[in-house]
Formats: sequence, structure tokens, C-alpha cells
Amino acid sequence: MAVAKLEQLSQSVVQGPSLATGAIPTKDWMDIPVVFKPGNYAFPAKKDKVEYLNSQSGLHFPNARDWSPEDDDWQLPENWKEIIINGLRERLEKFRSLKIFMDCCVRCGACADKCHFFLGTGDPKNMPVLRAELLRSVYRNDFTLAGKVLGRLAGAREVTPEVIKEWFMYSYQCTECRRCSAFCPYGIDTAEVTIVIRELLHLLGIGINWILEPVSNSNRTGNHMGLQPHTFKDNVEFLADDIENLTGVRINPTFNRKGAEVLFITPSADVFAEPGLYTAMGYLILFEHIGLDYTWSTYASEGGNFGLFTNNESMKKLNAKMYAEAKRLGVKWILGGECGHMWRVVHQYMDTMNGPADFLEVPKSPITGTVFHNAASTKMTHISEFTADLFKHNKIKVDKSRNDYLNVTFHDSCNPARAMGLLEEPRYVLKHVVNNYHEMPENTIREQTFCCGSGTGLNTDEIMELRMRSGLPRANAVKYVEEKHGVNMLSCVCAIDRATLTSLMSYWNPNVGVCGISELVGNAIVLDGENRAELDEGLRTLL
Amino acid sequence: MELTEALHNNRYTIVDKWVVYTLATYQATDFLNKEKDRFANPIGSTIRTSLKTLFQLLLKGGDGAGYAEPLSQIMHLRSVQEFTPSQAVAPLNAVKHIARDILAADKQTKDLVKDLYDFEFAVDLAVLAAFDLYMQCREKVYRIRIAEIKSGAAILTDSACPSKALKNIRKINE
Ligand code: SF4
Ligand code: SF4
Repeated sequence: MAVAKLEQLSQSVVQGPSLATGAIPTKDWMDIPVVFKPGNYAFPAKKDKVEYLNSQSGLHFPNARDWSPEDDDWQLPENWKEIIINGLRERLEKFRSLKIFMDCCVRCGACADKCHFFLGTGDPKNMPVLRAELLRSVYRNDFTLAGKVLGRLAGAREVTPEVIKEWFMYSYQCTECRRCSAFCPYGIDTAEVTIVIRELLHLLGIGINWILEPVSNSNRTGNHMGLQPHTFKDNVEFLADDIENLTGVRINPTFNRKGAEVLFITPSADVFAEPGLYTAMGYLILFEHIGLDYTWSTYASEGGNFGLFTNNESMKKLNAKMYAEAKRLGVKWILGGECGHMWRVVHQYMDTMNGPADFLEVPKSPITGTVFHNAASTKMTHISEFTADLFKHNKIKVDKSRNDYLNVTFHDSCNPARAMGLLEEPRYVLKHVVNNYHEMPENTIREQTFCCGSGTGLNTDEIMELRMRSGLPRANAVKYVEEKHGVNMLSCVCAIDRATLTSLMSYWNPNVGVCGISELVGNAIVLDGENRAELDEGLRTLL
Repeated sequence: MELTEALHNNRYTIVDKWVVYTLATYQATDFLNKEKDRFANPIGSTIRTSLKTLFQLLLKGGDGAGYAEPLSQIMHLRSVQEFTPSQAVAPLNAVKHIARDILAADKQTKDLVKDLYDFEFAVDLAVLAAFDLYMQCREKVYRIRIAEIKSGAAILTDSACPSKALKNIRKINE
């Protein structure tokens, strides 16, 4: 009796699995079609944005049209199959790593349960090995003998419109965070497979607006927001006003100043959106404190590079802009703010695409004399490296107790951690500016850090539920240190994280705030001639 | 034997089956059941811990105070996963059937099945509370969406001239 009722409960409301008959009706993954419904996909790019981008020099975004993922017919161009196969062939020839990644997976499964999308959704197609298989199956079919002869038996399948839909669904449920690659014995980087799938989709005019509009804005005005020079300048000056209110010290930053020693570039979100604003205030205070000869640029007014989330041409172009501006201004080197994927591009791809930046000098701290040889080719140094070096040489005067209202933990943002190995510097800086600090569990930090769940341009609000579930593994580890140690502040060095972790925390751990490390540095710094009231909430205090 | 005692004696089996049933609503059932590290398997561990706590509370009966804590954990999960509202809540109901089934299968406890009314009523209360929590979570998601839009992030798209829009926002804030 009871079992029958229980089975009925399963059948009436819980699709699929049944306790009485045992687990899920098993089907081969290739036979499970994707279903698009509101909330599980990001809005497609607007036609005019795609057209604009395609008209720009060095960029290639063909087949603009109005379409919706919910439509049966995606109005693919007539020769879509040829475009895909040729596009794949071209990339296999151009990117040796892709060919290796397609060939050498032994399906050992070590990566399978390491992806935050898999852990938050329980959907097998979010296992990295299966995500790569979405492309690999097509590769086998058209580029390997076994696939040509044995077809499905060899895990091969023909590319169909259904496959294209599946690519769209799952390449936009991957934040290219590379956690999986840290566990793969062969070093297969599924993130790069996702990158290639997204590139191929762009050849068919398939992309999302939250990525393409910022790319087009950056191409036009130099930043994601499309902010024009005067607005960018105004905004930084507003922050200087706020600092004056809080500390009594007037800071006068310069813009587009030729002959400055250092060009400072940070994500535009730092100068316009909370809580990034406080991080930017931290930069201003730090540079004032050490008397750095630097300038902001209203043209290279964006560290972020959403080009990375589309195709290699636009990534290259947006990256080149920073260097063009450094050349124009005649600075010696570039100091980069707390950004995630800017550093991935600089550290992993810049040199091949646009390097070496011979017209610049190897970064040398004018305060300590330290030469950053690790940036010998890119000529760009991370703010945490720069600040850590200042602390090492005792060049910063701080009052740590100003951050005592906080109990801090540190989230390793995927890109700085796994794409450039920036693990110690932020921690070293934190050690010098906060008294209360606790690490999250070992398998959730450093190389094994969990993504915020909204990287690679997935930080758009129409997929909020997806973001909340993919961010679960991160939030779950934060909850642990909140309960165990009373942690109330999640610090990080990434602008996307500052925005997306704020939403993630509001959902899962509403008592935990989010900040950049430079905010904590700025709050702890004792400025010459300051006249500072008790600031209960540091730089966030409203006077 | 008293009913409460019987349920208590069978608590591991009942909770285990309840967990298995709940995790079977995800495609990756095996993994979610197997992996025991709470950081490597947040869905599995949250469901397991919360259902265990909830079962103890159900045995106590009473007015259902205290259900909210474990239920909230479960509903935070299921309300942002791809379930309809009924699918999100349904597995909570399963414990009625599981308990009944287990008691009925054993000669010693078979006769206690008729006394299950109180326990089942407690489950009913939990299910109702879960539905409220489900809605609270949904509303929270909507509020977070609005907060993101207000924070200025949405100027990124959908705005003809962000510089102008930013000026307007400033005016509103002043
Ligand atoms: S790169 Fe990150 S998001 Fe993508 S499959 Fe690997 S673990 Fe998942
Ligand atoms: S860990 Fe590497 S080799 Fe193993 S299944 Fe994953 S991608 Fe393939």
C-alpha cells in the first residue's frame, strides 16, 4: 500500500525517479534534449549590438538576427554546418592545446564532481568531462577515423541544431573557472573547451547580451559601461570627496596625464558600483599615502575584458587598448587593480596576442626599489603584489584596529588564483591590515577555490536562480566559517566577485558582507594630516 | 512498544530512505548519496543534515516551532533549482509513507501503524511551513534582482547613454 502511494507521489510531482522502481530512468546523455525556459538562459545579444561589433575593425561577429532560445527554429544561417565544421577545423589547427584536449581525455572522471555547476544543479551535463564531450563528440565524428567508422559506438555524433542548442545551454553554464583542470591528471582545461564552443556559436550569431553589450561599449568608449571621459573623471572625484569627508584629507587624482610614471587600470565597476567604490577609495588612499606618481586614464578606463568571454579577436583588441594608452601617455609601467579576468588575459594570453610590451619598462616600485621580474614581458603588476611589497618594506603606516569591526575571510577569485597563481600576496596584505581572520576549509580555497558562480559574463539578473545554485559550494564554505568563527566579511580581489558575491551572500548568508582587499588597506592607513572621526563601518560609514 | 519508541528505533533507516528519496529527485543521485565531505557535496550534505534534524523534531511533535531552521536550509536549495513548487516540497511528504511502510513490514510494530496520525499531522505542518519558506526564498531572489539593478549594474545594458543615466541616478540618490 505505502509503496504504491509513494510511487504515486513520485509520479505525480517528482518527475522521473522513483523509490519503488529504483532511480532515474536511465537514458544516454546524447538523447536528453535541452529545454529552454525563462530563468535558465541569459538573454540573446541584441541584433544591433552584434551588427555594430561585426562592423568594427579586427572583430568578427557575423549572422546578427533577432532570435530567442525558446524558439524551435533558431534561424541558423543556411550553411551553418559548414561554418561549424570549418570553424572547428581552423581552431584545431590554430590552437594546439585544443587538439590535445580533444584527444587525450581518458574519461577517468577525476574532474567529474569538481564543478560548482554540477554540485549546485546535480545535472550530469555539468560534469566537466561531459561538458567537453559535447564538443568532443562532434570532433570525433568529423575529425577522427574511429568516429567516422564507428559513429556512436566511438562516442561520435553528427552536429545538429539540437547539438547547437545544447552547446549554448552548457557553455553558458560554465564560468571558465578552471577548477576542474586542477584535478585532471592530463591538465585538460575544460575552460578552454568552453571558450572554443562559445567562439563557434558566435560564428552562427549566437551570443548573450550581457557579454556583447559591454564588449561593444568597451570598443566604443573604453569601458563596459560606455561611460564617457567626463563621467569617469567625475566619478573618481566623487570618491575623493567622500574620502575628504571621512578623513579630512583632500586627494587630487590626475587623469590622462602624460609622463606619469605609472598608469593605473582597474575594472570600471570599481568607480561606479557598490561595493567596488570602497575598493577604489582604498586605492586612492594608498597611492596618496605613498606619494605614487600615477595617472588614471579615461580611455583605458576598464580592466575587465569581456572579449575573453566571446572570441580571441575581441579579447585581443580590448587588451591592446590598455597598452596603446600606456604608450600614448608615455608611462613606465602599468599597475593593475583588483580584477579577475583582466589578469587571466594579461598573464596567459597577452604576450602571445599583443606582446611583448617593449616600449614599457619592467615594473619597479618607486617606493621600495623592488623589480617585478615576473612581469618582465607584460609590464603589468598586480595591486596585491605591489601592496605586499610595500608592507614587506614597512612603507605603509596602518592602524589595524580600524578593521576590528570585521571578522574576515578570503575568497580566492578563480582567475588570480588559478590563472596567475596569486595565492600568498593577498593573504600577506590581509595579515597586515586585519586582526580577525579565518580561512575557509582547505578544499574550497587556493587552487581548489570555488567560483562565485557568476563569472564569464554570467552575472546577469535574468539567470539569478542559476547563479544562486552554482554559487552554492562557495556560499556553503562561507556559511561554515560564519557559524564556526563569526566571520562577517568575505574579501576578494575581483570586481565581478564583489558584485556577484554580494548577491550570493544576500541569499545564502545575509550577515556576511563583501569587500575588496584595498578597501581594508585604505581603511587601516593612517594618512598624514588626517582628521578622522570614529568610523564604525570604515570607509562605508555615512557621516 | 510505543509508537515514538518504534520510530526512534528505526530513525536511521527512515532518515536514510528519506534522504535517498529526496536525492533521487536529482539526476546525479549516486554522487549526491555517496560523497560524504560536506564541502565537496553541499546538496547531499545539506539534505542529509537537515532531514535528520527535522525528523527528531517531528518525533517531538508539538506546534512545529523549530521546523523552520532545517526546512529553510532545504528550501533555500530547492527553490532555486529547477523544480516546480510542488516538486520542491514533495519529498518532505515522503517520510509519512516511508515510516508507515517500515513499521508495517515488521511484525512487532505492525499494529502501531494506526497510531501514526500525530506523526503525520506533524509532517503536514512541516510541509505547510516549507511552502511558506519556499515563497520567502523566491521573494528573496526577486529582491536581490532588484537590488542588483538599483546598484547600477544594469546600466551596463539597456541604457542609451550610461553617462546620462548615471547622472539621473545620482540625482535620485541626492
Ligand atoms: S571551468 Fe569551472 S565551470 Fe567550467 S566545467 Fe570546469 S569547473 Fe565547471
Ligand atoms: S580528469 Fe581529465 S582525463 Fe579525467 S575525465 Fe576529466 S578531463 Fe578527462
